Amino acid sequence: MSTLQGRGADWDMPPQSTELLQGTLDLLILKTLVLEPMHGWGIAQRIQQVSQELLQVGQGSLYPALHRLEAKGWIRSEWAPSENNRRAKFYSLTRLGRKQLESEMENWKRISGAIALVLEGQR
Amino acid sequence: MTLTIGYVWRRIRASLFGASRDEVDQELSYHIARQTEVNVAAGMTEKEARRQALIAFGGIEKTRERCHEERHAAPLESLLRDVRYAIRGLRRAPGFAIAAVLTFAVGIGATTAVFSVVDRILFRSLPYRDASRLVSVGIVAPIEPQEFMLGYSYYEWQDHQTPFEMLTSWTGSNNCDLTEGNAWRLTCASVEANFLPAFGVGPLLGRNFSSEEDRPNAPKVAMISYQLWRSRYGNDPSVVGKTISLDGTPVRIIGVLNKDFELPTLDNADVLMPEAIDPASQRGANPGRVRWAFARLKPGVSIGQAEAAMQPLFQQMLMTVPPQFRKEVHLRVRSLRDRQVHDAKLAAWILLAAVGLVLMIAYANVGSLLLARSASRQREFAIRRALGAGKARLVRQITTESLVLAVIGSAAGCLIAAALLRIFQAAAPLGVPYLEKAHLDLRVVTFAVIASLLCGILFGMVPILPKPDVETIASRSAIGAPHGRVRQLLVVAQIAVSLVLLAGASLLLRSLWNLQKQSLGMSTKGLVTASLSLGELHYSKAEQQMAFFQLLEARLRKLPGAGAVIVSDSLPPGGWHHDHIYAAIRIEGKPLPAEGTGGTVAWRWVTPEYFRALSIPILQGRGFSEGDRDSSDHFMIISRSLAQYMFQDEEPIGRRVQPGLEGPWYTIVGVAADVKNGGLTGLDEPEYYRLRRDRPEDWGPDASVTVATSIAPGAMERWIRSEVAAIDPTVPVVTETMSQRVSKLADRPRFEAALLGLFATIGVLLAAMGIYGVIAFLVTQRTPEIGVRMAMGATKFDILELMGVQGLRMIAAGMFVGLSIAVVGSRALSGLLFGVRPNDPLSFASVCLLLAILAGLATWVPACRAMKVEPSRALRHE
Repeated sequence: MSTLQGRGADWDMPPQSTELLQGTLDLLILKTLVLEPMHGWGIAQRIQQVSQELLQVGQGSLYPALHRLEAKGWIRSEWAPSENNRRAKFYSLTRLGRKQLESEMENWKRISGAIALVLEGQR
Repeated sequence: MTLTIGYVWRRIRASLFGASRDEVDQELSYHIARQTEVNVAAGMTEKEARRQALIAFGGIEKTRERCHEERHAAPLESLLRDVRYAIRGLRRAPGFAIAAVLTFAVGIGATTAVFSVVDRILFRSLPYRDASRLVSVGIVAPIEPQEFMLGYSYYEWQDHQTPFEMLTSWTGSNNCDLTEGNAWRLTCASVEANFLPAFGVGPLLGRNFSSEEDRPNAPKVAMISYQLWRSRYGNDPSVVGKTISLDGTPVRIIGVLNKDFELPTLDNADVLMPEAIDPASQRGANPGRVRWAFARLKPGVSIGQAEAAMQPLFQQMLMTVPPQFRKEVHLRVRSLRDRQVHDAKLAAWILLAAVGLVLMIAYANVGSLLLARSASRQREFAIRRALGAGKARLVRQITTESLVLAVIGSAAGCLIAAALLRIFQAAAPLGVPYLEKAHLDLRVVTFAVIASLLCGILFGMVPILPKPDVETIASRSAIGAPHGRVRQLLVVAQIAVSLVLLAGASLLLRSLWNLQKQSLGMSTKGLVTASLSLGELHYSKAEQQMAFFQLLEARLRKLPGAGAVIVSDSLPPGGWHHDHIYAAIRIEGKPLPAEGTGGTVAWRWVTPEYFRALSIPILQGRGFSEGDRDSSDHFMIISRSLAQYMFQDEEPIGRRVQPGLEGPWYTIVGVAADVKNGGLTGLDEPEYYRLRRDRPEDWGPDASVTVATSIAPGAMERWIRSEVAAIDPTVPVVTETMSQRVSKLADRPRFEAALLGLFATIGVLLAAMGIYGVIAFLVTQRTPEIGVRMAMGATKFDILELMGVQGLRMIAAGMFVGLSIAVVGSRALSGLLFGVRPNDPLSFASVCLLLAILAGLATWVPACRAMKVEPSRALRHE
């Protein structure tokens, strides 16, 4: 899963792998924002922490993802002072985003279950 | 996520008011600052910390760009990406891509071409102001298929009519010669002064006729057509006001007509002139001059209302009509468009329906292809959705793929359409209105492309609609069972529709066959005809006309290879000839019929060799002899049916009749066999022949000269033209063989049959492709099953049966449905059929047989492949 990094360079790769990552990253971002509004840096740190440093979120894909999600209306942003008193752009979940998160999570569970079945069944 | 209006709005808002470049920069620099802080805390120098933070971040510019792209959706680029991907996908399935593109192309091509033709006939806008209010008004009588008016009642109607804003008319056109410099043969049409205003068209240059100019003895004026203006006067505007010489009379040009001007009857006219008829003289005359009347409805008045409003005037007119006419004369008011397309309308609608059916088959085929493809991609889509690709993403991909197919298909379709249109124009008979002006219609192309797109999207969507489930992803081979039924239904529909098309085509073909096989009552072999028309200037007197034709006849007789030579004023089996009502013949010793017109009777002026040259047998009495030409008596030969009608069982030879109720009495010298004279499809009229003697009163300016010859017709045609030119090079002459003349009469039905046949062929081929595709797909899908069955001891025949029965079931169902529709629907064709009933059992049976064989073959081939499956390989098929 460390392929999350450096995604910015693979624009010309077939969309299958792009989307796999994009969809997963979106899901992770939405999940991270459930607790509290956060800025980009914080989101990246949180995902890294929670996944016990297994998932490295590359900035090259994080920020475009944030803008994409905002454009879709799933998250909204506002400028606010941050921990170090500098102004940062904080993202929070919208109602639409919350609904999206729920359905995506459900989907993810079903699919990962299915994939697990396939992988085990294939042996 | 769904493609809702809300989503689109948010997208637009985001792109309009979204983060500015500065804002993105600030956001990114905040990130770098935080990373720098962390690095400093880890013990780096300030400078090194920032450098490392920048390295870790990667390309700032690229990220910035992509943030913007995400906001502004970068529609073009992402579309291009999708298109690239779609093309790559299609290249991986070339068979599918080619079949789909071809089907689209044929469907779109045929539809567009035919619609472009039919559109001009049925839907084009007429070049007049507010054309929907223009109508044709007149009476219908057996003698003339189109409604007409007679002078004396026309002026009554013009004075007393209420439903029309304006009532106008023209009295037809005639040949006229432009007699200055090189003489030009032109067509001059005579119109009322209010003719152009009634149609709401004005001249390009100059002015319209004034009512003073439309009086008898007024100085002659004319308006010339744009075409004449261009070809003769080189678009010189100073031609207006110039005086030219028409048939030797000075005529002043007062205007030039618009480029798109056309007479409402679509007749050709180079010059418009005022009728200059005195209404008073017409009112007294009975029946007055024949004319064709057109009117502009008052706003809000419908055609039905107008007809009702004209009834009293019509009834009044009927009182002045001889009693025997009354029952056969009707009032008719119909739209100008109906008047123009007259009998082309039915054929046009039928072609339109046929091409619609072809399009349906084509779309069903593409649908079937897409379903097959999507069945095999179901797992791909399920996995992609599982891995996070949104439905919208997949929808977009499928849309793009359909778009690519439709665009390529449409491009190819346009080429096919352009080619087909060329073929139509080359092959079509005269008299298909507007055909030479038809061009590819952009609206139709757009429609066909959009329909193709929708078809592609609709059927392409099927695999992504269901939620992905574990089995779909886990299944090792493609499973397509859920859509198999849809595909089978599509095939049934295709077979049904192609049966309908085939049935229609076979009826028209049989009808055409009957037309061409029918006995004409005359010979067409070894005959060359020439039509001539003598100009008013040098041949205004009957003596001059007779002298010309007699000289020509004598010269033609001397040509090597020339046999009999006829100079008649018309020729069978179709085209113009004289006719009048039967009741207008006075028979010596018999009273005139008290009631009824007795129908119409055709007649011609002929020279003695007419019957010999055309191989028309004389049944009773004798033919005309050369000696009869000097006689001061008048001689007549009547057709068998006229003899029957006039004299029943009495002896006709030697009886005397007076055609037209005035003038000379004719002595009947013979009875000839019946010859077709109403064209190939029209009703035949009884006919009589008057002998053209060597007396001026028997001659006129127009004649058909026919030469029987044993040499090559081409050479004879050239000789005839040079003989005419040797006497007078200014006389226009058109030559053709009699076989060509007759063949031309069947052009229209041939054109219709050929078109419908073409569509039926395309339809059947597409349907066969469809059924082949479905069975082949089933075979591939069931290969493992077949392997198992064979391993368990099933014979090859069992397998053939297993696969074949499915195909046969589809064929049977499709044929049943198609036959039911065809039996009902073929009635619509009855107006186009000749000598064959719309529910002709032989046609239907042969069509069913043909379709069954083709469809059976399309099943047999893939089913045979199933039979040859190697059990061991089939089991390892996955």
